[in-house]
Amino acid sequence: MSHVWERALRAQIVGPITPGYRAELMADQANFERDALQYSRQLYSAAMRMARNPADAEDLVQETFLKAYRAYDSFQEGTNLKAWLYRILTNTYINKYRKESRRPNEVDLGDVEDLYLYRRLGSEDTAEASRTTEDRVLDGLVESDVKAAVEELPENFRMPVLLADLEGFSYKEIAEILDIPIGTVMSRLHRGRKAMQKRLWEFASQRGLLPEDAERP
Amino acid sequence: MSNDCDCGDAQDQIYEYLDAELDEETAASVRSHLQDCDGCLDSFDFERRLKLLVRKCLSEDLPESLEVKVRDLIRQERG
Repeated sequence: MSHVWERALRAQIVGPITPGYRAELMADQANFERDALQYSRQLYSAAMRMARNPADAEDLVQETFLKAYRAYDSFQEGTNLKAWLYRILTNTYINKYRKESRRPNEVDLGDVEDLYLYRRLGSEDTAEASRTTEDRVLDGLVESDVKAAVEELPENFRMPVLLADLEGFSYKEIAEILDIPIGTVMSRLHRGRKAMQKRLWEFASQRGLLPEDAERP
Repeated sequence: MSNDCDCGDAQDQIYEYLDAELDEETAASVRSHLQDCDGCLDSFDFERRLKLLVRKCLSEDLPESLEVKVRDLIRQERG
């Protein structure tokens, strides 16, 4: 549970509603649209990879902004608004969908070697040939392959990958958003990326992007 | 090959380097290794391009109606 969020809720409930406070509140809330809505597109992109369909992603974004708006008067000016919004989005997603899902929260991935995709593509006879294969794969994978490779990751690996690769959050920010230690962020990010690369290799193979002799199972 | 950062060190730090998580001194030693080592440079470049591809492919266009809905919700809430 987010301590920021709890503090925000508590402040909202017990805060004194004096006339001065009310004016200040309204000023704050007017800023909300200006400051928070600029992240709509990014939040929607992340929500799409969490919910995996447009209708649920739109619901998630709306609920996130509504919760954020309600708690905005207690949001600390000068702290990280974008990370705060992502924290609300992530918690909303987890609370809403984990209940419905039979998928266990903590899933382990099988053992996958480091730099899986690169190492597989780099096994050509010459560096030149390897580079040609690398280029063909990076150019030939389509958007739906990459989306599927990320969406298929179990939630606890998908979130760090999304936050790092889609949003460019630092490890420290990801740790705060997901409420897990930095070491856990790093290991999940590492393992999540490897599993994603293994899936991309499979897509590349299906699309015939790999040289004949590399298409071993 | 530079003395203070060999291939193993560079490979271990590839993601932290690309995610801009290394301190300046460590990043500089990785960079100096990459200048001397084509193999590592090639792997770093591949991972960098893949990271950019992932970012590009995961970005969605915002549905036009969504921002309108959010603004409406907030105005309703404001009363």
